[in-house]
Amino acid sequence: MVKHNRYLFNRTSMRIHKFIYAIIVIIILALLPQVVRNPYYIHLLIMVGINAVLAMTFILMLRTGLMCLGIAAFWGIGAYASAMLSMKLGLPVWLSLPAAAVITAIIAAFIGVLLVKQGGFGFIIQTLAFGFIIVLIFGTFQVFGGHVGIVGISHPESIPIPFVGSMEFTSISKMPFYYLMLFLSLLMVLVLTAFYSSTAGRAWRAIGLSAHLAESLGINLFNYRLLAFIIASAIAGLMGSFFAHYYGTLVPGSFGPFKTINVHVYAILGGINFPILGPVIGSLIMTFVPEFLRITEGVEPIFTGILMILLVLCLPDGLLGLTHLWQRRSKPS
Amino acid sequence: MLEAIKLTKYFGGLAAVNELNLRVNQGEILGLIGPNGAGKTTFFNVVSGFFPPTNGRVLFEGKDISQLKAHDIAYRGISRTFQASTLFMKLSVLDNVFTGYHKSYRTRFLKRVLHTPSARKEEEGFRQKALETLEFMGMASLKEELAANLPHGYQRTLGIAMALATNPKLLLLDEPATGMNLTEKNAVIDLIRRIRDMGITIILVEHDMKVVMDLCDRIIVLNFGQKIAEGLPEEIKSNREVVEAYLGKEESKNAA
Repeated sequence: MVKHNRYLFNRTSMRIHKFIYAIIVIIILALLPQVVRNPYYIHLLIMVGINAVLAMTFILMLRTGLMCLGIAAFWGIGAYASAMLSMKLGLPVWLSLPAAAVITAIIAAFIGVLLVKQGGFGFIIQTLAFGFIIVLIFGTFQVFGGHVGIVGISHPESIPIPFVGSMEFTSISKMPFYYLMLFLSLLMVLVLTAFYSSTAGRAWRAIGLSAHLAESLGINLFNYRLLAFIIASAIAGLMGSFFAHYYGTLVPGSFGPFKTINVHVYAILGGINFPILGPVIGSLIMTFVPEFLRITEGVEPIFTGILMILLVLCLPDGLLGLTHLWQRRSKPS
Repeated sequence: MLEAIKLTKYFGGLAAVNELNLRVNQGEILGLIGPNGAGKTTFFNVVSGFFPPTNGRVLFEGKDISQLKAHDIAYRGISRTFQASTLFMKLSVLDNVFTGYHKSYRTRFLKRVLHTPSARKEEEGFRQKALETLEFMGMASLKEELAANLPHGYQRTLGIAMALATNPKLLLLDEPATGMNLTEKNAVIDLIRRIRDMGITIILVEHDMKVVMDLCDRIIVLNFGQKIAEGLPEEIKSNREVVEAYLGKEESKNAA
């Protein structure tokens, strides 16, 4: 059974095809809120975008052998950092967004140096502990608003758009937030793709396939794992800072391991072998299916939990993993 | 070139390698033989940096490498193959070998992530080198095949190809001929000779005596983690202790 590569002799053709697909997808995504209109659904789409990117960071770390239970914690660090920077220091949102990402990256660097060294199991336990500790810190200290959290976070300042006017970020319309989310998400996808297709991405893939072998070829496991950890956490932090200025309110409880596990489900449902597409599919389904099934908030954890168990038992490669079955069948052997 | 001085490795209470003194000279093919559990693979694991020694030292080109980790050892110029088929199973043959060139990148990291022209050029260069290595091994026609689909013999030689890609000065081959038929074994023997002709020193762990006797300039015999014999192939063949170690005391009395 040989896996034939249609693009074997024509790499440029593959690149052009992928580029065209990407453009089409982006156009569809950009036009989506014009079609959907219902502000509640637009809110759901925004959350899908955020959750998808968070799930992408999970897969980034998972592929290098790091099972991180602290994703929501870094999401929270970015959110709180941006809120504090804009409210306490008066920074314009366009500064506090990237600044929060940088702060998250620095914290991730320090934490990562300690945690990544632990190896598989120690890392899992300690990121879980870190997840709880962060929630505790946010909930206890008044500077972070205590258990009440932070309220009334400023919206981003308006963006002037040539020839059209300006895009206002108010509490009235969700559309500008959707486009900002779309821009940030696509930017993160671009960053991730750049890393995946670089030598770092190859090293990550090698580590994920066989850490021993990669090591014997000179690949520094710790360095590359730490790199994945920092990039993943910084991206999570950036999405957190967007969330802060979109949602306007931060409650410490929403940044705990429960949220992280939800992110895991999005990634696994989509298929962890598809680092970009899987999370999108997973978070789309997990956000909208409970909506259409009229699953209320109380029941949702049960729904998520059962789904997680079913996934691991029956569909470990996720939904997109099924496409391999389809491919194999349609080829004459 | 490589020297182990009183090298000891304990796993719990068991000494897998016990006060081993061993020397490898540049350019030679040294055979390391002994019954199963004699400590040969443990010796490889310690030298290649996967386990730190409990006691003793390993010197490479005069420098102490005992505490170095595996990736650092690769940079020093020691490379190894593994017993089981340790490959990147989901990657193609070419990609497997290509990964071996990873440590040789000279372009700065940031440029590589940004895919600058100089980075892409270096990458192309390594792809070309990977292809040349495959041609040297006689595997060029398999380059797009998934590693997992290869027959066992080719999987072993792919492991050797990857180790070669790291441009080693010393190559540790862990049972390269296992599971091969006669034709494949002869090909491997020829391959190892050609590798030595490239100037690479080789330590060969192998159970097949024909391969060992054919190839090795010198042989060291291990049992219970200690050296029980050392010398030229002819000497080892007739060494009583060696025969005893392999066959047990009763058998060797009958053989003598």
